[in-house]
Amino acid sequence: MKILTTVKKVVDVELNIHVENGAIVEKGLQYVMNAWDENAVESAVQLKENKGAETTLVSIGGGDNTDIIRKAYAMGIENGIHIDDPALAGADSFVYAKVLQKVFEKGNYDLVITGKQAQDTDNAQTGILLAEYLGLPCVSNVIAIEVIDDRNLKVSRLGDTGTEFVDLQLPAVVTVDVTINEPRLPQMRGIMMAKKKSITAMDLAALGLSPDEVGSAGPKSEIVEFIAPEKRKAGQKFEGDPAEITARVVDLLVNEAKVF
Amino acid sequence: MAKVLVIADIKQGVLKGSTAELLSKAKAIGAETAVAAIGSKIESLIPALANAGADTQYLADDPGLELFSAGPYAACVVDAAGQFGADLIWFGFSESGKAVAPRVAAQLNAACATDITDVILQGNQIEVKRPAITNKVIQRVKVNTGQLVAVVRAGAFEATEGISGTENVVRLSPPPQDLRAVVREIVSEASGEIDLSDANIVISVGRGAKDQSGVDLVKELANDLGAGFGSSRAMVDAGFMPHYKQVGQTGKIVAPSLYMAIGISGSIQHLSGMKGSKVILAVNKDPEAPIFNVADYGIVGDLFEVVPILRQELKKIKQV
Repeated sequence: MKILTTVKKVVDVELNIHVENGAIVEKGLQYVMNAWDENAVESAVQLKENKGAETTLVSIGGGDNTDIIRKAYAMGIENGIHIDDPALAGADSFVYAKVLQKVFEKGNYDLVITGKQAQDTDNAQTGILLAEYLGLPCVSNVIAIEVIDDRNLKVSRLGDTGTEFVDLQLPAVVTVDVTINEPRLPQMRGIMMAKKKSITAMDLAALGLSPDEVGSAGPKSEIVEFIAPEKRKAGQKFEGDPAEITARVVDLLVNEAKVF
Repeated sequence: MAKVLVIADIKQGVLKGSTAELLSKAKAIGAETAVAAIGSKIESLIPALANAGADTQYLADDPGLELFSAGPYAACVVDAAGQFGADLIWFGFSESGKAVAPRVAAQLNAACATDITDVILQGNQIEVKRPAITNKVIQRVKVNTGQLVAVVRAGAFEATEGISGTENVVRLSPPPQDLRAVVREIVSEASGEIDLSDANIVISVGRGAKDQSGVDLVKELANDLGAGFGSSRAMVDAGFMPHYKQVGQTGKIVAPSLYMAIGISGSIQHLSGMKGSKVILAVNKDPEAPIFNVADYGIVGDLFEVVPILRQELKKIKQV
C-alpha cells in the first residue's frame, strides 16, 4: 500500500496573534507542523509499521519547510516532496487540492491521509476537495483506520449523532481528527537519520501545472482583511462565602442577564 | 434577488433550530428562500420546514438516505441547488455539513467557506466573515464566484419570531449509493441525551471535578436545568467523559444562551469552543483561572461546595 500524507506549516496558535491595519503582524510569530497533520503522519507511520505500507509526504508552500518535513521523517515517514512556487501566494483550498491532485497522479498512491483541517485557516476543505478532483471516495473526521486487505479499509468517523462505521474501498482519501492517535515524539536516532534524508523539491512547472491553472482563474475566494476579534470582557467575579456569592450570582443571572 | 438554499439540519428525525436561524438570516438579507431536506421518513417535517421560513421545500426522502453518507447527500444538495438556481447554499454547523459542503462546492465549481459568522451582499458581490487561527483573528473573505457554499457557525444567526414560508414541495429523485464508501452503521452514544450543539443551556465539567463523583454532581445540575452536558478535553483524556461531549476547538463548538464552565480553567482550546455563548458563568477554585477573563459571572470556589448550592438556588427560581 502506498500512502501519501500531507503536512502544512502553520502559525503556532499557542502564541499571541496581533492584527494591525487589516493584516496579521508577522513579528514574533513562529511556525510549526499543523497539529492535525501530526495525526495524519502518525497514522501513516503506524500503517508502515503494522502493514508494510510505503509512506510519502507532501508539503505545499511555506518557503523553507525543511524543519517540518524532517520532523515527519524523524517520526518515520520515508519520502518527502516539497512543492513551492511564487504563483501559490494567495492560494485557497481549491488550489491546494489541485496541486495535491497532480502529486497524487504522479505517484500511483492507494491512500491519502490528511489532517482534517489546518490551524491557520480552519477551513477543513482541502482533503475533501482533493477526493472530488480525483473522483475518489472520501471519509472526513476519521477516528480509526483498520486495514481489511490491500483494497479495503474499515474506517470510523465522528458524525453528528455518534460514530459512523464505513467500508472504504481504495484508492481513497481520509481526513483525520486529533483523537485518532497520539503522535509520537521523534527520537534522537530518528532525528539523526532524518537529517541525512533528501527532500524532493518541485515547482508548479515540474508538476505539470501552469501558473494559469492556479492563478488566472484566480482563487475562488480571497482574504481581503484580518480583523481582531472583539474580546469578551471579564465580568463580575465573586469571592467569599459560597452560599452568599452563589445566591448573588443566581440573582444576577435572573435579574440582570435574564437567562431564567 | 439572491436565492438562498438552506440545508435542513435533521438529526434522528428531528428538525434542529439552526434551520430556522439560517432561513431567518436569508429573509433578512432580502433573499428568496428554499430548504433541502434529506433523509428517510421525513415527509412529516414539511410543515415545520415551511414554518421555519422556506418558501420551497426540496425533499429527498428515501430509505437509502437513512444513514448519513456524504456522497449521496451532496448529490441531493447539488440537485436542489440546480433546480432552485441557488446563489448561496448554507449548511448549519454540523459534522455532516462540514463533510458535504466542499463536495457540493467542487461539483458546482462554486466557492466554499466554513464557519461563517456573517454574510454581506452588495449587488452580486458576496463577502463573508469567519474566525480563523483558533478564533484569534476574523477573516473578511471576498468571494470571486457568483455562487458560495457555506457552513454557518453555531449561534451566528438568530431566528426571527413570526417568520414563516409557504408549502411548496419539490421531490428529488433518490441519488445513487456510494458503493466505494458504504456507511454500515451509526452507533449513537448520545441517544436520549440533550444535543450539545442545539441546547439553550450547556453545562461543562472540567478537571476541578477530579473524579466520577464530581462528574455526577455536575451532571445532576445539568439534568435539573434540562441542559446539554459537556466536558473539557482534560476530562475526556482522563476517561471520565466521552469525546463527543468535548467542547472546544477539537470538539464541539457551542453558542448557547447560557454556558456554565464548572471546574474548567479555560485553555485556548476550550475557550474557542464556547466564547460565542451569550452569557458565561464560571465556577473555579483558582481566582486566576483564565476562564474568568471571558466569564460574565465568576464564582471563586470549590465546585463540590458551590454546585449543590447552585442547584438549590436554581430550584427556588424554577418553582417561582
